[in-house]
Amino acid sequence: MTSPVLVVDRVSKRFAGHTAVDDLSLVVAPGVIQGLLGPNGAGKTTTIRMILDILLPDAGRVERFGSRASARHWAGRIGYLPEERGLYRRMRVLDVLVFLAEMKGVDRRAARERGRRWLERLGLAAWERRSVDDLSKGMQQKVQFISTVLHEPTLVILDEPFAGLDPVNAQALKDIVLELRSAGTTVLLSTHVMEQAEKLCDQVCIIAHGKKLVDGSLAEIKRTRGGRHVTLGFDGRAAGDAPAVLADRRLVRGLDDYGQYAEVELAPDADPQELLRGLVEAGVRLSRFELTEPSLHRIFMDLVSDGGTRHA
Amino acid sequence: MRRVWAIVRREFVERVRRKWFWISALLGPVFFALVFLLPVALASSGGSKRIAVVDGTTSDFGARVAATLDSGSVFAAVRVASGPRVVDSLVAEVGARRLDGILLLTDSVVATGAAEYRASNISSLRDVAELEGTLTSLVAQVRLERAGVDPRLLREARGLHLRTAKIAGSTMTGESSAQSFSLAYLMGLILYTVILVYGVNVKSSVLEEKTTRIVEVLLSSVRPFSLLAGKILGVGAVSLLQLAIWGVAGRALANWGAGLDGSGPLAIPHVSAATAAIFLAYFIGGFLLYSAMFAAVGALSSTEQEAQQAQQPIALVLVGSVLSMFALLNEPNSTLAVTLSLLPFSSPIAMPVRWAAGDLPPLELVASLALLVAGIVVVTWVASRIYRVGILMTGKRPTIRELVRWVKAV
Repeated sequence: MTSPVLVVDRVSKRFAGHTAVDDLSLVVAPGVIQGLLGPNGAGKTTTIRMILDILLPDAGRVERFGSRASARHWAGRIGYLPEERGLYRRMRVLDVLVFLAEMKGVDRRAARERGRRWLERLGLAAWERRSVDDLSKGMQQKVQFISTVLHEPTLVILDEPFAGLDPVNAQALKDIVLELRSAGTTVLLSTHVMEQAEKLCDQVCIIAHGKKLVDGSLAEIKRTRGGRHVTLGFDGRAAGDAPAVLADRRLVRGLDDYGQYAEVELAPDADPQELLRGLVEAGVRLSRFELTEPSLHRIFMDLVSDGGTRHA
Repeated sequence: MRRVWAIVRREFVERVRRKWFWISALLGPVFFALVFLLPVALASSGGSKRIAVVDGTTSDFGARVAATLDSGSVFAAVRVASGPRVVDSLVAEVGARRLDGILLLTDSVVATGAAEYRASNISSLRDVAELEGTLTSLVAQVRLERAGVDPRLLREARGLHLRTAKIAGSTMTGESSAQSFSLAYLMGLILYTVILVYGVNVKSSVLEEKTTRIVEVLLSSVRPFSLLAGKILGVGAVSLLQLAIWGVAGRALANWGAGLDGSGPLAIPHVSAATAAIFLAYFIGGFLLYSAMFAAVGALSSTEQEAQQAQQPIALVLVGSVLSMFALLNEPNSTLAVTLSLLPFSSPIAMPVRWAAGDLPPLELVASLALLVAGIVVVTWVASRIYRVGILMTGKRPTIRELVRWVKAV
């Protein structure tokens, strides 16, 4: 394996009264899309701020590109889209892009040229001399994506990039992210929307209350963390009428009942055939009985609702 | 450093591009001229006042008073012989606004020096000064005449015009006291306005980056201190450009004004190179000091309203310096004046005002500048620490205790 782009090593950050990030470690390999997942308040943004040296960790260290140098030293190679968006409202669109690129060390002339190209590509060419205020919210978001990648960074950090995006812009952003990866850029993406993460991420790290719950490739996590799941489809059953067999702790560890169908997590040593037999004997009419891979959402919910105590 | 330079340029270009900047550049001199000249213009406006001199004297004293007052520019005076009901009817005239006032004279004026003036407005210092001056000199004249002094000798003995000239160091300048007063006053006014306006500009700029969260992107590329420094330098450059425009416009206006009616208290005084240098030094110092504080206020606030509240104490200190200006001008070497011109928070306004008003010991000037520089260093250090933490904070404003912790934090 090539040397990692980013190493977060046993990092902690405390604020008055609470620990935002607690002994968190993470290694990001080059060229992957790394998900940083967790519920609101899990410490994702604080972690990102420490990666960017906006905040200094109380303990632990962060290495970028194999060096201990400050993130500002590498500013030209890092692109950052913060969770809460905003641009200088009264500046002209192209001027904002040029200024933010200058902050990343890009020469003015080059920034101007690249900015124009990007604006054209995202259908904003006619707006380059208008002030940011004149743009719709969706357009402003596009301008902000451009500012994140204009300096051609090799590590792009996106904090909740899909929050507040309409479907068209979400699609555009997803395309940009995948394109970045195929160009060899590493992407660190924080989100609490598991469906997005599941579609995009190669690697995921799930955190809650500042602690890492699980970390690894998506496929591996599904295999090892998901347990064995059965999806049941009921043929005309009144909601809430759960057969006793589903409450049997020897067979069923977790149940997510949606009325017309249910997701069942099997107990560690349970035999799915036994569950099937039990259901048939209880007189349940089944339209579906399928051994399935759990969704990332399911894994996430299990991990987070157990407060991280279970995976030990 | 290139990034700081880009921040400076952005702050400068974005401000100079605004209409607001050019409007204030053009209207500034008009505004200062109004604030400055209006009181003078109002005091001398209204033309001459119509008064009746009710002459109850048995000599020609009443007639002489009426004639002397009438020959001046302040009053149009008419002598009325005293008689029954005369005063009542004149009072009615004043009530009907056909007359501005009545001066009552009897023989006792010359004997005891007691006269009476009744008018619709008795608060005009100019009117009272004119009346007192005229009466005093005429009473003295009549008393001397009665004592047998030759009237010709008296005419020769009268007449005094006090010419004032400021001595700076050992050389006498061409400035009159009115001119150095107006120069000091004008300088104080401009310093106050520009420091306040551009300090508030720094605050708004910090607040904009904070509320839009651009600050996070910026801080991933530059240090908080570099960002703050670039911002203050950029806004400062705009304020200097503003002053330069005003300076040129003021010069032109002064030349034009001098062509109109020569000198007098309204003439814009000559500004020496030393005065200009001191003005500039204290402007730059004051701006750096106050803008650092305003930046901290911006970083502490989450909304414009909150920031406006939080900036009150700072603005008050500035207003206090301006209000103390009049005391300084009256007594430029009092303990209060010396203290205010040494304290870094008031010296940016107090010291140039004192300098313009009169001569200053060079040692005091050096001490004041040294203290100002020290003040800037300390205030900037504290403000940048508050700024560093504050710009990333959201939600409620921190308590004083938290602030102290931010400042102490490594």
